[in-house]
Amino acid sequence: MPERPESSTTGSEIPVQRMRPGDHAFVSYGDDEGRWDVLTAFTWLGLAGGERVIVFADPGVPRDDVLARLGADSPELADALGRGQLVLSSMRELIQPERNFTATRQQARLVEETDRAVGDGYRALRAYIDMHWVPALGTDVSAMIDRETHADHLFTDRPYSEICAYDRRWFDDAVLEAMRRAHPCNLLEYVGALHAEHTSGVVRFAGEADLATRERFTAAVAVAMAAARGHALTVDLTHLHFLSAGCAGDLLRAAAAVSGPARVDIRCSPFQAGLLRNLGARETVRLVLSETGAGC
Amino acid sequence: MLTGDRVGEGARDGGRAGLLLDWSFTAAELPQLRLLVEEHAARAGLGARRRGEFVFAVSEIATNAVEHAGGRGRLRLRRIAGELECQVADAGPGFTEAVIPELAPGVDGDGRGGRGLWLARMVTDRLTVEDGAPGAVVTVAVKLPG
Repeated sequence: MPERPESSTTGSEIPVQRMRPGDHAFVSYGDDEGRWDVLTAFTWLGLAGGERVIVFADPGVPRDDVLARLGADSPELADALGRGQLVLSSMRELIQPERNFTATRQQARLVEETDRAVGDGYRALRAYIDMHWVPALGTDVSAMIDRETHADHLFTDRPYSEICAYDRRWFDDAVLEAMRRAHPCNLLEYVGALHAEHTSGVVRFAGEADLATRERFTAAVAVAMAAARGHALTVDLTHLHFLSAGCAGDLLRAAAAVSGPARVDIRCSPFQAGLLRNLGARETVRLVLSETGAGC
Repeated sequence: MLTGDRVGEGARDGGRAGLLLDWSFTAAELPQLRLLVEEHAARAGLGARRRGEFVFAVSEIATNAVEHAGGRGRLRLRRIAGELECQVADAGPGFTEAVIPELAPGVDGDGRGGRGLWLARMVTDRLTVEDGAPGAVVTVAVKLPG
């Protein structure tokens, strides 16, 4: 499994499965695997959840290729296209009859499309926007940056979510870093990826802790335990979309091995808390489970 | 990529009634497998909590096949008689329900997959293990809402 480059982090990393209405997310890709992985997951989970999905793919990729990547032979996909739940569009089409991009025009159209989706009976609208539209429309990158940093009204208390996907082979590093910081959410680049972030007294996980990522998960827990040096440690699992029994067991064993009076506080979903209790969390006296409503 | 064999819900041919997914998988495809099962569970109407439990159970039995039964397995997901049912078949040495502990296995488990299967049984409505000749077939199911 390719790993996301370990640049500086913002504490806002989430897996694509956690995208919800109101989320505005950045993702970057450096190859076709990452490019299609997130798009496919975002699309199918949106359709299954009763949302309308609009895909603004790279204008350089033919429509049939996009459909093939999404699963062109699937009857569900054909049904979704037929009833208008899934729409393949382009930025040029969205802003018509205007020919030049303006943030005002684009955002007004997205508001219209969101309202239309809800009016048509869908739970929300989600849009995947490959940022290759910027060169395709001859738009200045500064106009794109302005749009991306002034878009809160599209999302606040609105049934709309959006992924902005940046090709690292086209956008320069400074723009990518600025855009990553400008978005409230940063998506992990691949389905199945695990992200571990260490800050003082806290290790925060996002993604999936399973057979493939178990070694990294366990190593990150061990690093955090060692760095805590007997002081309290928080292990934040709330952005883990999947926690396997094996990884949960490793976490409990590591917590049980901590010496001294310091406690280990595990922030987790109710399901994760149940899993940890079933595996014997109560036997570890220094362990405290703090349940949040988030997650599954 | 999601490359599993998506099967239309209306498929009715040759014992495929209600078949939603038929996919041979390896370890590398476990994340995609979970994603597909999650998607179908959402379509079937399972709420977030129950969906997470079902995906967990399926992932544990699929992981068991990968780890202990030859590195691969075959998953069939069906919607039948008010249930969402998932079968995972493997070509390993085979095992019986006897490997699943009666009581909570604790943090150290048994190292042979029994802990994951015990948890999978706990969070679903039905779990059975049958002789697959060769290998084993593990079936889990959850009741669908109303």
